[in-house]
Amino acid sequence: MKPTFLIVFLKELREALRDRRTLGLLALFTLMYPIMIGYVVNQTIKRATKPERDGVEIAVIGGAQAPTLMAQLKQRNITARELGPLDEPAITEALQARKYAVVLRLSDKFTENYAAMRPARVELWYDSADENGPRRREVESVLEAYNANVAGARLLAHGVSPATLAPVQVQRFDTATNASRSAGLIGGILGILFVPAFICGMSTAVDSTAGERERRSMEVLMAQPAKAWELVVGKWLTSGSLAIVGVTLELVLAHAILSWLPLEEIGMSWSMGWGELILICIVSVPLCLFAAGLQVALAMNAKSFKEAQSVLSFVMILPMLPAFIVPMMELKTADWMYMVPVLSNQTLLREMSKGDDIGALPVLMTFACSALAAAIAVGFASWRMKSERYVLSV
Amino acid sequence: MIEVHEVRKQFGSVHALGGVSFTARDGQITALLGPNGAGKTTLLRTLVGLLKRDHGSIAIDGVDPEKDPMAVRRNIGFLTDQFGLYERLSTREYLQYFGELNGMAGPSLKQRIDEVSGLLQMDDILERRAKGFSQGQRIKVALARTLLHRPHHLLLDEPSRGLDVMSTRALRTALSSLRAEGCCVIMATHVMQEVTHLCDDVIVIAKGHTVAQGSPEELCRRTGIANLEDAFVSLVGTEEGIAA
Repeated sequence: MKPTFLIVFLKELREALRDRRTLGLLALFTLMYPIMIGYVVNQTIKRATKPERDGVEIAVIGGAQAPTLMAQLKQRNITARELGPLDEPAITEALQARKYAVVLRLSDKFTENYAAMRPARVELWYDSADENGPRRREVESVLEAYNANVAGARLLAHGVSPATLAPVQVQRFDTATNASRSAGLIGGILGILFVPAFICGMSTAVDSTAGERERRSMEVLMAQPAKAWELVVGKWLTSGSLAIVGVTLELVLAHAILSWLPLEEIGMSWSMGWGELILICIVSVPLCLFAAGLQVALAMNAKSFKEAQSVLSFVMILPMLPAFIVPMMELKTADWMYMVPVLSNQTLLREMSKGDDIGALPVLMTFACSALAAAIAVGFASWRMKSERYVLSV
Repeated sequence: MIEVHEVRKQFGSVHALGGVSFTARDGQITALLGPNGAGKTTLLRTLVGLLKRDHGSIAIDGVDPEKDPMAVRRNIGFLTDQFGLYERLSTREYLQYFGELNGMAGPSLKQRIDEVSGLLQMDDILERRAKGFSQGQRIKVALARTLLHRPHHLLLDEPSRGLDVMSTRALRTALSSLRAEGCCVIMATHVMQEVTHLCDDVIVIAKGHTVAQGSPEELCRRTGIANLEDAFVSLVGTEEGIAA
C-alpha cells in the first residue's frame, strides 16, 4: 500500500499540473533567467569589445577651417565625416540616428577668430541618453590636446614657457582589472539563478494550503485517517518537486548559455563541466525543499489565496537579499556563507565556476544547512496543522 | 455504537459544549436536532478527533477518538457542512483519492466507486471535473466520498440540502439500506419531515447541552405536543431563530 504522504503528493501533483498558472510560471522563470543573463552578458561582451574593433565615427561641420584638428582626430582613429551646414533639429536628428558618436560644429568665424587669437568656437553636440560616454571622452581629449598645443605654441611665441600653464601635473593609474570589474556582475548573475527556487513552487504551495482552506476542503481532508504531518509532507513535496524541476532546467540552460558565450572577453570565467553542474543541481535540491517548506508553513496560515500571495511576496524578497546585497558589500568568501541558504548556493556556484577545487566541506554545508532549514519549516507546518486553533479556523 | 458522556468544550470564555450525553446505537438513524449555534459542528468535530474535549468521555465502538483518531476516522464517514471538492479533479479521481486515504486500492476500489455511483445515481458526472457542478451534484459527490470506504459510522451534517426530490429519495433509500446493514448513522438536520420519516432516535441539543433524547413519538408524548416541529421548539425553549 502507498504511504499516505505519497497519496497526497500524487493527487496534489496531478492537480498542480492541470493548473495553467502553475505551469506558466514554471516555464516563464525557467526560460526567463537564463535568457536574460545570456542577453545581459552578451551585451556586455559586445560593448567591451566594440571600441577595439572599429574606430569612433563623428560628424563635422565646417571642418575645413581646422585642418590640424582634423589630422589629429584621424591619428586617434576617429573618422570625421564632413556634413554640410546643419541647423539644430537636423543635428539632433543625426545624433538620434545613432550613426555618429558626436557632431562637431565649427563656427563660421572660426578662422577669423583663430587668426585674431580670440577664442574660436567649436560646438560639441552629443546625446547623453546614448551609451557613447567613452567615445565622447575620446573626442574631448583630442580637443583638449589640440587646445593645449595651440596655447603652448602661442605662449612660446611670446617668450613664456608653456609649463606655467600646468602648475599641477595629474597622472592617472587605473588598477581595475577585467576580472574585478566583472566580479559584481557575475555575483548578481549567479544569485539570480537561485531565485526561481522560491517562485516555481509558490503557486502550488499557496493553492494546496490557503487555496484549499478558502475552498473549504481542508476540513474534510483533515478528518481523514491521515496524520497532519502526512498531509503537510505531501503538499510540501509537490511544491518542492516543481521548484526542483524548475531550478534544474534553469541551471542546465544557464550552463549551456554561459559555456557558449565568449566570457574571456570580459574577464569572466565559466570553467565548469557537466559533472560539477550535476553537483550544483543536487545541492540546490534542499534549497528548493526549504523554499517550498517555508511557503507551505506561511501560506497555510492565510485565510485566502490572496492573503497568502501577499504574505509570500515578502518572502520572495529574502532570496533577493544575498543575490543583490552581498555582491554589493564585496565580502570575501568565508565559511559562514555556506551556512546561509541561497547565499551558500550562490557562493558555491561562484567558487566552482572559477574552476578551483574547493573540497567537500562547502558542498556538504550548503546541502545540510538548507536541508535542516527545510526540516524545521515542515516540522513547524505539521505542528501548526495539528493545533486546535488551526482546526477551528479552517 | 457511539457513546458520548458529559462532553464539554470551551473556547476562551465561550462554552461551545456545556455537557452533551447521548448514545447512538448500531442499526439506527439518529437525528441531531438543534438550532444554529447549538454546538452541532463542534460536537461532530470532537467525535472525529479534530478537537479535544475538555471534559467527559467519547467511545466509538469502544475507541476514544482522542487516543486513536486514525482508527476512529477509518471507521467514520464524515460529511461536513462543506463539500470539499477539488475543481481540477474528476469525480472518479476525487473518490479514488479519498478511497486511497482510507486504505483502499486497486480493482476493489474501482468497483466500489462504481457501486456508490450507482447507488447515488451519479454515473453521468463520474468522469466530469467538479468545476461547474450544481449544488445537488456537489453534495452527491461528497456523499459518495462519505460512503465509499464502507464506514460503520456515518456523521452527516445536513445531507439532503440542495437535493431535488429524486435525489432526496435516493439518499433516503441509501440511508435505509445502511441502517439495515447495521450502520450507526448520526444525521444533523433541520428538516422535520425527514426526521419523522427516517429517524429512529432523536437527540435535541441547545446551547451546548443535550436537552432530550428519544424516538420522535416519545418526544411528542413527553412534551404533549403532536407536531414534532412544535415539540422541538418547546424543548429548545425559545422561539428566537436568527436573532439568537
